Amino acid sequence: MPSTLTIPWGNADWNAILPLGVVALTPLLVILADLLLPRSLRRSVVLALAALGLIYAGFLAARGWGHPYSAFGGGFVTGGFTIVFQEIVIAGALFSLLLATHLGRDDQAGGAVALLLWSASGAMLMAGAANLMTIFLGLELLSLALYCLCGLAARPSAREAALKYLILSSTASGFMLYGMALLFGATGSVQLSAFAAPAASPMLFTLGSGLFLIGFVFKLSLAPFHIWTPDVYEGAPLPVTAFMSVVTKAGALAVLARFAYAALPQANAQAILVPLWIVAALSMIVGNVGALAQTDVKRLLAYSGTAQLGYVVAALAGTTSLGLRYAIFYLVAYMFMNLGAFAVVALLSREHEEGSHLSAYAGLGYRQPVLAALMTFFLLALAGLPPTAGFTGKLLILASSVDAGYAWLAVILIVGTAISAYAYLKIVLAMYARGAGAPLQRALHPASALPWLGVAICAIATFVLTFYPLAPSDVLPLVK
Amino acid sequence: MNAPMDVDVSYYIVLSTVIFFIGVGGVILRRNPLIMLMAIELMFNAANLALIAFARVWINNAGQIFAFLVITVAASEAAIGLAIVVVVFRRAKNVDVDEVAGLRG
Repeated sequence: MPSTLTIPWGNADWNAILPLGVVALTPLLVILADLLLPRSLRRSVVLALAALGLIYAGFLAARGWGHPYSAFGGGFVTGGFTIVFQEIVIAGALFSLLLATHLGRDDQAGGAVALLLWSASGAMLMAGAANLMTIFLGLELLSLALYCLCGLAARPSAREAALKYLILSSTASGFMLYGMALLFGATGSVQLSAFAAPAASPMLFTLGSGLFLIGFVFKLSLAPFHIWTPDVYEGAPLPVTAFMSVVTKAGALAVLARFAYAALPQANAQAILVPLWIVAALSMIVGNVGALAQTDVKRLLAYSGTAQLGYVVAALAGTTSLGLRYAIFYLVAYMFMNLGAFAVVALLSREHEEGSHLSAYAGLGYRQPVLAALMTFFLLALAGLPPTAGFTGKLLILASSVDAGYAWLAVILIVGTAISAYAYLKIVLAMYARGAGAPLQRALHPASALPWLGVAICAIATFVLTFYPLAPSDVLPLVK
Repeated sequence: MNAPMDVDVSYYIVLSTVIFFIGVGGVILRRNPLIMLMAIELMFNAANLALIAFARVWINNAGQIFAFLVITVAASEAAIGLAIVVVVFRRAKNVDVDEVAGLRG
């Protein structure tokens, strides 16, 4: 009698990962186009294909709103929470593509864009990952593609950045993986949902969660695991840096939030997470103090990112439902203001030099008043001054951390903000300083329409979000 | 024929912890990126050993499947890692991370 092989999952499971699948398969088309097309057409077609794939995936993901489903035996969960993070990843990847008009040489463009999309698909997998295997797979898919992208620029600092990122990030993955093994040992399951039951060995569970969290604190570049960030940001090509500053963070934050909210036993969840709030507080101080000394905008944004992610994690303190909503709101606000600043840097770049050094900004307020005004706007948003989304976001985080009984976090947030204002205003002052030497005349890229589009969208979004606190009221129930 | 010897699972866990710390020590102490990559492999494989031992304890095959996944990912990681090391040190005479220190940290 012939035995039949049955596949244990059906159409609904494949539908759940369809957006992810589209982002993971588009690179194949991209590489094919890269092979077949003449050199002159290649870059524009490749970018257009990648953007279309991402937009289609965004549409498919949005279609699943309100239809939570647990696919592949609980390995991947769709629903409001997953969709919000997937859309953030897709938006982040699209903005990075806008800046990618000079990513790599013409013959490298196809491969670079393909790697960018594969990396984004890893982050999208992390957004919905609900067991240890899918989390690990998503994280490694995200990271492995990024190691290659970091070393893409033809300068020694890029190769150095790739090597540093490879070694440090793999070590963090090693810690995280060992933590996962211990979690499996403590509970006998790889499902996050099974962790909420009291563990057979609480000691092993605490140890495992600690190692697991270290891995994600590293990926979020929170202090004291942020040392790699400025170097890697400086060395990597600009679009890749922009991508890392949003997409990696969104993916890691999704896993962290799911773990904190859904996977910890009620009795000692807060005790396990206390180190996380301390790390968030430390990041707000270390990130902002570190930003003071920087003369390179990419390095400054690296330190700023450490502090901003500290704010986001602080919003989760006490794991309240409002806290999660505000963390997501601040992540979206951070995406727009941060990518806006990166787009300005892209506009100031020339063929062989990225416009990230402070000298490129000297007297910019007189040479390009519009661009300087927009950069000022983004920096004020990052500093958290009104009327920007950064202000609204910080206000909400303050409210939620005080509500949750973490007033000390709120105090540190205010102190950090005060320090950061000085770091950001340094660039603003340089832009409007009179007679700051003979200003270097920097020619804009010929293909600067796309970065301008990015600047415009980010500026509008940063302004509009000030008045529109995001309210995905059904996000929290879907985490579980 | 002898009956298969039953080894207590705690031995496996202790061994995997030892291997893990050898890996951590290797990454911290050694300065040759190839050795550092090997040390990272050790960390991954320590986790594999723990996963398989725990899979035996809980009689849950998920641990063994996870170990296969880790082996696959570690292989890709090694391939990419070696490629990056080759690119970085193509022009260098010796291989030492302390010489790759143009960025300020």
